[in-house]
Amino acid sequence: MSYYEFFCPVKVIAGQAALEHLPYEFSSRAVERPMVVTDKGVRNAGLLDKVLAACEEGGMDITVVYDDVPADSSKQTVTAIAKEYRKQKCDGILAIGGGSPIDTAKAVNILVSEGGDDIAQYAGSGVLKRPLKPFFVIPTTAGTGSEVTNVAVIADTEKEVKLPFASSFMLPDAAVIDPRMTLTLPPQITAATGMDAMTHSVEAFTCLAKNPLSDAYAAAAIRKISNNLLKVMEKPDDAERRLELAQASTMAGIAFSNSMVGLVHALGHSLGAVCHLPHGLCMSLFLPYVLEYNLGQIREPLSELLLHLAGPEIYAMTPKSQRAEESIATIRKLRDDLHRHCGLPRTLQETGKVEKSQLDRIAQMTIDDGSIMFNPKEASLEDARAVLEKAWA
Amino acid sequence: MIRERLRPLASQAKRAYVQLMLDVVGRSLEAISEVDDQVRNEVTVLPDGFLFSMQVMPKGPALFMRKQRDGSLQYLGGSVAQRPDLSIQFKHLHHAFLVLSFQEKTAQSFANDRMLVDGDLGYAVRMTRVLNRLETFILPRLVASRAVKEYPDNLGLPEKVFSAARIYLKVAMNFVDTVRSS
Repeated sequence: MSYYEFFCPVKVIAGQAALEHLPYEFSSRAVERPMVVTDKGVRNAGLLDKVLAACEEGGMDITVVYDDVPADSSKQTVTAIAKEYRKQKCDGILAIGGGSPIDTAKAVNILVSEGGDDIAQYAGSGVLKRPLKPFFVIPTTAGTGSEVTNVAVIADTEKEVKLPFASSFMLPDAAVIDPRMTLTLPPQITAATGMDAMTHSVEAFTCLAKNPLSDAYAAAAIRKISNNLLKVMEKPDDAERRLELAQASTMAGIAFSNSMVGLVHALGHSLGAVCHLPHGLCMSLFLPYVLEYNLGQIREPLSELLLHLAGPEIYAMTPKSQRAEESIATIRKLRDDLHRHCGLPRTLQETGKVEKSQLDRIAQMTIDDGSIMFNPKEASLEDARAVLEKAWA
Repeated sequence: MIRERLRPLASQAKRAYVQLMLDVVGRSLEAISEVDDQVRNEVTVLPDGFLFSMQVMPKGPALFMRKQRDGSLQYLGGSVAQRPDLSIQFKHLHHAFLVLSFQEKTAQSFANDRMLVDGDLGYAVRMTRVLNRLETFILPRLVASRAVKEYPDNLGLPEKVFSAARIYLKVAMNFVDTVRSS
């Protein structure tokens, strides 16, 4: 008999004019002076202005903005933002951006709620014992799902380690999904983040901690990505389909944060650390090869996914014994199409940033990555090396 | 009525079993770290003096191991005053019982949120591999297959029997030493 746990208390505010709900959400949590945490990319793309305008029109002036979060946020960044928060006497946090501003804001919220200047003292799982300050998130990519996950990673640049934080208290009070916030995403980032959400869903559906609730979110997310990603690549200003992708990303986030991920993420984390490639791209590079590797253990769920990946007609036409292979073929075709649209690399060699001599180190890091614990098949160093070899060219 | 009366006895028996198994696992870990190269390779990256524990929350049975300078693991018993560098904690006595009676695989227990890791996750993955390796050696294949995610294809019977004999011998000697010194 199986056992599972499922938890997602985040209020999701999604759709047309979602941003305009922010002033009400702030007031419902008695927030009068929120601090915005974001990065230069968000400001330069004009996305910050959209949020500020929506709040101003709703009778709320946001005056405290920190827009200098780097791509890999550090302890020092978190300390600096927390100092500013206290100096400005803020009473809540609004994160706007992709993974880095959201993770940074989660860490800042720990410091300003619990006290102190060193975020490292709160690293680990289960350290936090009480609710934090009001926290809201507006994702600007459709991939990470960070707006519904209870984890954050911050770099300790002095010790050259990444500090993980995990607690259900880090989850935001609300996530605002507005199609205007992803309309201007460049094609390659749209493709890579879409494949990130796809990987979250597929691993959630096939790894050890899968459960009926995460399965439902994962399957629905896969359907939305399959139906909309290529259409958005063809017509980037299609707000309806952009919203579908953004929702898929959030649903995939809910799925994988309740069922964890596996070898694709273990390989992807290691590749990203060694070669500094974007996370979504790393996911796309490994997904079909890991599914092939795991096939013996995941044939049944992967067969089921064909319905959501390719639609009912292809599912019905494919013999049951070939559905798992057809699912992998469908993902490969999606990667080929994305490569044609925007040049998203399909192999390690195509990235132009990976040396074959680095594969041993990546394999070694892979088998020490926490995600590997939840992979349905036991992966040894040799197995990880073999998957890397297949993904090479 | 009888069931009500037997319940505390069953619970005590479960606690005693978990305590005994953790003791056996601790002594076996010490033994395998002295005889198996693969385990020594896993342990070698841990800092000298590294303290590892497996325990049942909140203050249940436990085992503590310390990484020695010579690369082996030393079993320290069921309680140590020092805070461990890495602790794998079962949320409940019954969860520990499920794993230690081979009804649930270690990886599945993690996946089922029955175990918590306090410390470096990479080291926890390594120690889980060490535990898996131990189980594949000292348990019959049928039982070991229930305990680990995948029984290794390349582990032949002669190697298994030879290694298991060395581990059992060391564990037996360790028990005798403990009895003599107490």
